Amino acid sequence: MGIGPSTKETTLHHFRDPLLDLVDKDEDIDLVGIMIVGTPQHNEEKYFVGKRAAAWLEAMRVDGAIISVDGWGNSHVDYANTIEEIGSRGIPVVGLSFVGKQGNFVVKNQYMDTIVDFNKSLQGIETEVVGENTPDYLDAKKALALLKLKMREV
Amino acid sequence: MKTDERILRRLVIKTYHIEDVVLGNRILISNRRLQISAGIFDKILTKFNHIQDIAIEIIPPKAHDRWTNSIMDIIPISTKVLGKLGEGITHTLTGVYVMMTGIDGAGNQVAEFGSSEGVLKEKLYLNRAGTPAEDDYIISLNLTLKEGQGTNRAAILEAHRACDLFVQEIRDKLKKVDARGYTEKHEFFDKIRMNRKRVAIVKQVAGQGAMYDNLILPQEPSGFAGGRSIIDLGNVPILLTPNEYRDGALRAMT
Repeated sequence: MGIGPSTKETTLHHFRDPLLDLVDKDEDIDLVGIMIVGTPQHNEEKYFVGKRAAAWLEAMRVDGAIISVDGWGNSHVDYANTIEEIGSRGIPVVGLSFVGKQGNFVVKNQYMDTIVDFNKSLQGIETEVVGENTPDYLDAKKALALLKLKMREV
Repeated sequence: MKTDERILRRLVIKTYHIEDVVLGNRILISNRRLQISAGIFDKILTKFNHIQDIAIEIIPPKAHDRWTNSIMDIIPISTKVLGKLGEGITHTLTGVYVMMTGIDGAGNQVAEFGSSEGVLKEKLYLNRAGTPAEDDYIISLNLTLKEGQGTNRAAILEAHRACDLFVQEIRDKLKKVDARGYTEKHEFFDKIRMNRKRVAIVKQVAGQGAMYDNLILPQEPSGFAGGRSIIDLGNVPILLTPNEYRDGALRAMT
């Protein structure tokens, strides 16, 4: 499993990503960068890249991170692991993912308590309509608000 | 500039709005009109081994009651005019976007995990960040790969490269449009906001093979040439500055 048509973030999406726009404009936030991490095939590699991502964030001394994923199913193995690696280092982390009814997490951990579900279809499924289940400004707002709350608790 | 901010670099994105798109024998951008040409396809087809055919079509706004093959990507037409990705000046067209669709010689849709072929108006959700608005033109590039090549990574890369060569011809004209004739001008800064909460955005993207790949930092915004595949980079985390990312540093190949 991987990325279905409705959750697929097109090149145009990346060019005008609502998540970047919203976080970057927030005067209370010092946006340090966008980290791109891949979704490799084998579990050993999944854990390797997830741990490297978390090590980077720790070294960057971030106060918090928002992690977004544009696939589901098998990609959630990587996603859950990377969130755990980040969370277990004491870094507040909030997620964005398609969940709906079809995309329930195959694995979960204690750091996945703040995940914004950007499913937008009534049926909660991969509708195969390009663009339908992609994150918008409201999803980004929810994620940033949750992160601010989490960062306050630390 | 606020006293508690430190500016690192500046990016200016100028938009040029297009209200009409036509097919002609050469490329022209003038008076909000874009003329495109299919002339480059013959050259591409003789050189590219995995591609059987490329069909170009202009889809006007609201004319979406038509068949589409599975949508591989929606791509903005943007180009660097000054500086490298993430700084300097970028020109981009609004009102028109390129839609890449794919099928193979045997009629298999080019897709990995579900496909989006069907009636376009039922398969493309308009007005999202990653899709055209209802008043936008779509330049449809339908690629027919040779039979069985839809799951071959080399063929998918070739398809993106072919599409990029087509867009590059438009970019070369877009570089030379009147610098003062823009529709909108947006200024962005990579900056440090001192004593604010330090936050990183992490984007987990595909990185396993054909139709499950992403390209990082191409030469041109949202381009292909010069980019590095996340697979070839071993899927390890790569950092982009906010301005690099918003200047089209990530090309989706999913």
